[in-house]
Amino acid sequence: MTLSGEFFAFISLALVAVVGGVLLLNLTKVVHMVLALVFTFVSIAGIFILLSAEFLAAVQILIYSGAITIIMLFGIMLTRHDDTKEPKTGLLRKLLLFLGILGFAFAFYIGIYNLDFGEVSTTLHENNTEQIGIALYSKYIIPFELTSVLLLAALVGAIVLSKNDQEKEAKKE
Amino acid sequence: MVEDLLHSQPGILNFGIFFLLATVLLLVILGFVTYAILAERKVMGFMQLRQGPNQVGGRWGLLQTVADVLKLLLKEDTIPKLADKPLFIIAPVIAFAPSFIVIAAIPFTDKLQFADLNIGLLYYIAISGLTTIGMVTGGWASNNKYALLGGMRAAAQMISYEIPLVMSVLGVILLTGSLNLNDIVAAQENVWYILLQPVAFIVFIIASVAELNRVPFDLPESENELVAGFHVEYSGFRWAFFMLAEYVYMFAMASLTTVLFLGGWLPLFSFLDFIPGAVWFALKFMFVVFLLIWFRSTFPRIRADKLMEFAWKILLPIALANIFLTAIIKEIFKLL
Repeated sequence: MTLSGEFFAFISLALVAVVGGVLLLNLTKVVHMVLALVFTFVSIAGIFILLSAEFLAAVQILIYSGAITIIMLFGIMLTRHDDTKEPKTGLLRKLLLFLGILGFAFAFYIGIYNLDFGEVSTTLHENNTEQIGIALYSKYIIPFELTSVLLLAALVGAIVLSKNDQEKEAKKE
Repeated sequence: MVEDLLHSQPGILNFGIFFLLATVLLLVILGFVTYAILAERKVMGFMQLRQGPNQVGGRWGLLQTVADVLKLLLKEDTIPKLADKPLFIIAPVIAFAPSFIVIAAIPFTDKLQFADLNIGLLYYIAISGLTTIGMVTGGWASNNKYALLGGMRAAAQMISYEIPLVMSVLGVILLTGSLNLNDIVAAQENVWYILLQPVAFIVFIIASVAELNRVPFDLPESENELVAGFHVEYSGFRWAFFMLAEYVYMFAMASLTTVLFLGGWLPLFSFLDFIPGAVWFALKFMFVVFLLIWFRSTFPRIRADKLMEFAWKILLPIALANIFLTAIIKEIFKLL
């Protein structure tokens, strides 16, 4: 393996991503965890750029920067954020968890080691925004439309829920 | 030149060149921020029938901001006892870093540009959203209710106004057929997008002022409601970082407006093209900055409950209608 700039970039991004993930699990305060999540997401976007998937990288940051801010607000408003007690877990549970992790790691190792994508076209990275657009609106148009209907339903649901609250409060007053 | 560097072998020399370029850019931007603050104070002074700074550095107060920055550097760096210390320290960094990163993608002239990205526009909008996290973190870490309220407002406002911002730009993207900022400028060879997309321009300007947290949308730091918003507890250099982020975004947003709607470095008329592109860019850029300062001294602050309604019920439908109209007109022109 040659020491190229790409290698350095990948190692540092991967390190930040993994450390962010570990911190997310180990920190005790909600806002700290959310911030660790930011580092993970941003470095994953960086890895997308290394793979020449620049559109995915930008969308990753665009979606998650907003989403993380909202998670942070939820964390602040809906949890007892000064509660730093660790829940107690038994030895048996820890052991089972460890075995589960080992199994997962093994399955993934096997899966990735023998993975063969077959013929990969070499032009995927050129104009990938346009290619994604064409694929979405021609080949995958029905799943795409279904997703948008799902999102619309969620949007309407949120409006209905918050509308009910307002009417009840108005009646109370 | 940058293209060759990006594809060359890594090494200490390469790293040094990149580092040097970034430092030069940082110094240029610091210079801009220094004089943008002075210009803001001067212009606002004249608009309010007063002088503005006129003591330090001659009649025009040319060294006023330098003196202010020196004062900030010498100030005691206070961290509240009950603050969340690691977050309090990292928040200004998270707020500032994205503002500097976005400038890498902006083409100032056809040659003066750091990264020619295929998704330049999307890159700008995506990265600039990260600053909100810094603001919310700073507001939360201060352990102060005014700061937290400011942070919450920043989050709500910036997420809501990001949507009309993106939607208004979609009209430009439709006409160009590319997200590349160089292509967008090249497509304005004959006519600028401000003439083809006037509605998009107005929506974009309003949403960009909201994204910049400037009057009339400066609710996250409205000093007469929230003391100073999310940076109440910050002092000295940490506070300066929040301010710096704000003005660097002003630089970036004014550049982006120039590139998207005012034709970037292209001359006003083709017979004027003996004037270099950098001069044209600077002129248009300064016009946009002046516009932002003008807004600040002439508009009252919008009410907090009207703010969200305005974004979702007025700006967003207008932007969507504009996209619809643009798509129809584009198809009709294709048929002809």
